[in-house]
Amino acid sequence: MAGLSAGKIRILLFAGLREQAGWAEQQWPAAPQPDSVLTPRQLWLKLHLPGALDQQVRVAINQQFADADTPLQPGDELAFLPPISGG
Amino acid sequence: MQLRIDLHSTCFEPLEVLERWQTELKGLGIAESAAESLFVGRVRDTAADGTLLEALELEHYPGMTEQQLEQLAVNCCNRHGVSSCLVQHRIGRVIPGEAIVLVAIGANRRGPAQRCCQELLEALKHHAPFWKREWRTDGSSEWLSGNTPL
Repeated sequence: MAGLSAGKIRILLFAGLREQAGWAEQQWPAAPQPDSVLTPRQLWLKLHLPGALDQQVRVAINQQFADADTPLQPGDELAFLPPISGG
Repeated sequence: MQLRIDLHSTCFEPLEVLERWQTELKGLGIAESAAESLFVGRVRDTAADGTLLEALELEHYPGMTEQQLEQLAVNCCNRHGVSSCLVQHRIGRVIPGEAIVLVAIGANRRGPAQRCCQELLEALKHHAPFWKREWRTDGSSEWLSGNTPL
């Protein structure tokens, strides 16, 4: 994964979601004003990602599961995780 | 509590790994557990739609997978009061018959050993960021959207 530019959020997609969207990683400017908020849910809509957030797709911020309405900070790593099937 | 978690990008032999783990514990002066519970999961030779399976592709989220496995294992083992925990998981291309997961729990009673083993297995199936893609013998493939039933 490439280095993260200052003030950006790194967004990662995996497995079927990555293939449906046609990209694996991109960077997005963090909230431009100190008092404005950017959340995973807002990014999900801005990026027109396929599927249903919450029901099918989970969110991880800095490699920990998180709520889709958590405010993002510059430098955060945000991942949208399609249904998990381990073991 | 002794904990060991590894991801394998190539085939591993569960019983050989288990033997090495037990030898390692013995080397640390840790007595053999009175109760041990073991689960080995292997890849089936059929896909979810019943057709022949060529291979499973296992993708994961590097970094988060290891953190999640450790958190799940520590929480589960502490809750059940067990003494040792070994988790081994495949990544990459896995062919039918090969082991995909090994969970081995040591405890002083069969109850906590068995309960912890089952609970940890279910936890990692649902909360560790792994994704399976089935490759069928006709060349087609599909990402799975969930786990097989218990």
